[in-house]
Amino acid sequence: MAEIAESVVGAGATPDDRRARSERGFVTGIVSAALIWLAMQLGLNLLFELAGPTGAWVAFLLPWACLAFAVLSLAGMYSTRSGPVVVGSNRLRRNAYGWWLLAAFLLLMAILGESAEPIFDPLGKFGGIIVEFCSDHGLFWGVAAALVGAALVIAGTDTLQANRPGLVERVLVLNLTAKIAAIPMAVVAVAVFLGGTIWTVVYSFTNSKLLPRAQFVGLDQYERLWSTNRWIVSIENLMIYGICSLILSFIIGFTLAALMDQKIRFENTFRTIILYPFALSFIVTGLVWQWILNPDFGVQSIIRGLGWESFTFDPLNNADIVIFGILIAGLWQGTGLVMVLMLAGLRGIDQEIWKAARVDGIPAWKTYLFIVIPMMRPVFITTLVIIASGIVRLYDLVVAQTSGGPGISSEVPAKYVYDYMFQGQNLGQGFAASTMMLLAVAIVVIPWAYLEFGSKNRG
Amino acid sequence: MANPAVMSQTAAGFDAVSRQLEGPQGPKPRKRFSRANIFIYGTLIVVAFYYALPLYVMIVTSLKGMPEIRLGNIFSPPVEITFEPWVKAWSQACTGLNCDGLSRGFWNSVQITVPSVIISILIASVNGYALANWRFKGADTFFTILIFGAFIPYQVMLYPIVIILREIGLYGTLWGLVIVHTIFGMPILTLLFRNYFTSLPEELFKAARVDGARFWGIYFQIMLPMSLPIFVVAMIIQVTGIWNDFLFGVVYTKPDTYPMTVQLNNIVNSVQGVKEYNVNMAATILTGLVPLTIYFVSGKLFVRGIAAGAVKG
Amino acid sequence: MTANSVEIKNLDLSFGAVEVLKNLNLEIPEGEFLVLLGASGCGKSTLLNCIAGLLEVTGGQIWIKDRNVTWEEPSHRGIGMVFQSYALYPQMSVKGNLSFGLKNAKVPKVEIEERVARAAEILQIQPLLDRKPAALSGGQRQRVAIGRALVRDVDVFLFDEPLSNLDAKLRADLRVEIKRLHHKLKNTMIYVTHDQIEAMTLADRIAIMRAGKIQQLGSPDEIYNRPKTKYVAEFIGSPSMNFLNGDLTAEGFAMDGETVPMQGYKFANGAAPGPAWMGIRPEHVATGDQAQAMPYNADVTVELFEPMGADTLVWTTVAGQPFHFNLDGQHKVASGDQMKIGFDTSRSSLFDKSSEARL
Repeated sequence: MAEIAESVVGAGATPDDRRARSERGFVTGIVSAALIWLAMQLGLNLLFELAGPTGAWVAFLLPWACLAFAVLSLAGMYSTRSGPVVVGSNRLRRNAYGWWLLAAFLLLMAILGESAEPIFDPLGKFGGIIVEFCSDHGLFWGVAAALVGAALVIAGTDTLQANRPGLVERVLVLNLTAKIAAIPMAVVAVAVFLGGTIWTVVYSFTNSKLLPRAQFVGLDQYERLWSTNRWIVSIENLMIYGICSLILSFIIGFTLAALMDQKIRFENTFRTIILYPFALSFIVTGLVWQWILNPDFGVQSIIRGLGWESFTFDPLNNADIVIFGILIAGLWQGTGLVMVLMLAGLRGIDQEIWKAARVDGIPAWKTYLFIVIPMMRPVFITTLVIIASGIVRLYDLVVAQTSGGPGISSEVPAKYVYDYMFQGQNLGQGFAASTMMLLAVAIVVIPWAYLEFGSKNRG
Repeated sequence: MANPAVMSQTAAGFDAVSRQLEGPQGPKPRKRFSRANIFIYGTLIVVAFYYALPLYVMIVTSLKGMPEIRLGNIFSPPVEITFEPWVKAWSQACTGLNCDGLSRGFWNSVQITVPSVIISILIASVNGYALANWRFKGADTFFTILIFGAFIPYQVMLYPIVIILREIGLYGTLWGLVIVHTIFGMPILTLLFRNYFTSLPEELFKAARVDGARFWGIYFQIMLPMSLPIFVVAMIIQVTGIWNDFLFGVVYTKPDTYPMTVQLNNIVNSVQGVKEYNVNMAATILTGLVPLTIYFVSGKLFVRGIAAGAVKG
Repeated sequence: MTANSVEIKNLDLSFGAVEVLKNLNLEIPEGEFLVLLGASGCGKSTLLNCIAGLLEVTGGQIWIKDRNVTWEEPSHRGIGMVFQSYALYPQMSVKGNLSFGLKNAKVPKVEIEERVARAAEILQIQPLLDRKPAALSGGQRQRVAIGRALVRDVDVFLFDEPLSNLDAKLRADLRVEIKRLHHKLKNTMIYVTHDQIEAMTLADRIAIMRAGKIQQLGSPDEIYNRPKTKYVAEFIGSPSMNFLNGDLTAEGFAMDGETVPMQGYKFANGAAPGPAWMGIRPEHVATGDQAQAMPYNADVTVELFEPMGADTLVWTTVAGQPFHFNLDGQHKVASGDQMKIGFDTSRSSLFDKSSEARL
């Protein structure tokens, strides 16, 4: 055993180095076992299974191999321990007991399997989930937890704690409460945001219909997507809506903010009126504007009633301009936000600038255009990212105002995704379409994140 | 690549900057009736009218009878005020076969919003506190993923969550939707709380540690009592956001448990029967009433909330 | 041999690649008032935070009362800390602030009352006990902050620039009060400041820090009179020390063609001839008849003068190099005046040009 451990941690180095190295090996082993396990649950195993039964075996063994590596590192830790391993007086025994208790529970449940079901009856469905999880994965996680407990006992032999705690202790013991408290965040970040996104991307290459099915068809879904007229219309609409909405909300928002910044009276009243639509949902917004743009009762009929009989303004029933009807409602709802952000940006600018500009005799509009706007670059960029990521999600407004009509002329990608996923029973199309949306957002967000934060990191 | 510390500064900047909204600033003082002043106030008044118009139309339409709507125009005030559309919208309007009005959606929304707001704020405030004061290795990685999660289109995560909810048996229930709202509220709220707790003097935290307080002791006895305003801001963000949500409601609930927005859309856009515009508008106002009330009551805090919560989009 | 109250052994601290403290060693005997003095960024507050356990050290050990506390919780180290911003819990009354630590330590209620009352008496804050921190003046807040450490009956008091948020007059008053407190309690106190007056007046010993290392550790007198490095010499004393550029030879200190004999100067071990600085404190310069009697004297022209009330700072040139000295405040001078000045070379300090160490 000691020789094997020796070969893992390397001979010749000082005991401290070797100890640190084996602790690092242990943590790496456990963490990679967990990550690979998670990846397998998310569909990595499917890729292995493509290679036939051998692949399936590799997929099964890979997490176990990581655990085996952890065991070797554990042996390394044992051979470089700083004192006798006595559990009863160990500094970290309480933590170790906790892990062993968890391990015992998981292993017991794994052995009992489905026969443990009655014990968990009072927990309802959650009990069933626990039983099911343990009978599938209890052995793996039980072994992992037992190993962690053992590692803690070895790390805790240094009863006097004269030296800096090793990696195992730093990861598993220090700040334990904070780490436990952060578990919901970690689970959501990794399992839902990261895992869910990867899962959807992986399954966009399958021919899933009513239920997700792991039958890979390459880029078929994407080919079908881009040859579907409705998707093309959706993309066109989103482009038109997005570009117009970006430009107009910036112009209107900035102009309003500049007007509000002129030391006016009743600033709060004006802001309250201009911003209130933002408090309303897109559904409410869409329905109100559907009513106002109603050709029989709304704007068109009123202007005709004033004597201009031939006046036509019926965007919601005209396939060519329907997206502008939605744009009107979207701008009404969203410009207040842009105005507030811009106003905050204007107020953040050093007031000395205005004095300097006045002393130099520069007219106000020139000061805005050539001095103030360039200074507001960060506000502009953040506003841009916020508006852009909102535009990609455009959905409720269309549903409420036009339901995608007339025909398919006001469809948008988010609606395409929903309809194929939950109405059309064509999951694969929905996954492919949503992956395209993700790609679009990535194209906006990643360069922004890189520009804003990447360069500062390096500097 | 992206450092959450720097990334969050942008949002923190908004938060700080939105506090500057008080008090007039701007280029130069002007005389009362200068031409420029007439232009500024004129423009603002016209714009304000434009923005206020839809609310006005909603209200007047909802107070008219159908015959008056068919004859008159949408902007004219009601000749004969009737509250019947409101009653009908609340208790009789039909969605499909059910004809018990919006009240069911309202109570569903209440049952969704209240626990969602409480749970999401509790979790996010603890997360934010752990990130701000108990920095440990790896926390920033999770946080970065979380913040990127705020930008990922929800559509990408819709189906995986369906599977998760189905696995734990909560698909289609109110509690399922509560979990979804808690998950999707987490990025922005965690960011909000993290920035707030970071802005508190670090020496207070140190003093409490010297005084022997631990993680929860410091959270409950030192941090919480100092954080009332940010909790109110978080509540505003969450109540309006969750109340106004449509997508999650329509994906994760069933007709029985539809929140108000979904039910409203079904009532107004149902193709059956004669369109009752006055009832539709009454229903629309009813749905918008909760966020509007919060908006008008909270004033500046709402502005702070959206500036900080703007990332949610 | 008395036990050391605080012992710091080979302490290292780095944030990533930045080394903040480098192999630092320090022994503080029981009851000593030690001041950590240095410019901002020298690591003095960092060191204090390490002792308090608020920062995780990268290497080395910290012992308090013969106990290795390097990895103990801050509250288990027997330390109390007073912060620059007072760090009073704003939502608690003064009493609540004082008793918070005791409650966390599960001290019985009766005893908490007793200890709070005693601390309040010592610090004379009894009338303030029910007030909130916001209703206190700066000086009162600082007293409550000290009281918070006092009630916990700690072995070591740590002060992190406790007076720098106060105005000059209050600062002087509280300085005296802290000194009185130390006389009364006889606890070990470690006090971080960048203010040399605080350091000189309060300290039993001063540790002058620079770039994460202790440059000199000694009594205020030693530090003032026999600075170990040019940095320490520059840092201590106001107005700051004059430095004359020259060479140390067998005959004395040679500059600008003349040689100043170094009679009576206590050379450090291993002092060797070579390029050197000679440092003379402005207040050690004599004028007129007294100057005549000094080992070195010269005739100078007044270039500039700054009247400061009690004395006048005169700027001039000695051996072609800028030089300034103090003159009795009643002495009338004018630019262009001729004066005779002189100084005692045995009170000067010689530093090696390259190593900047005392010769």
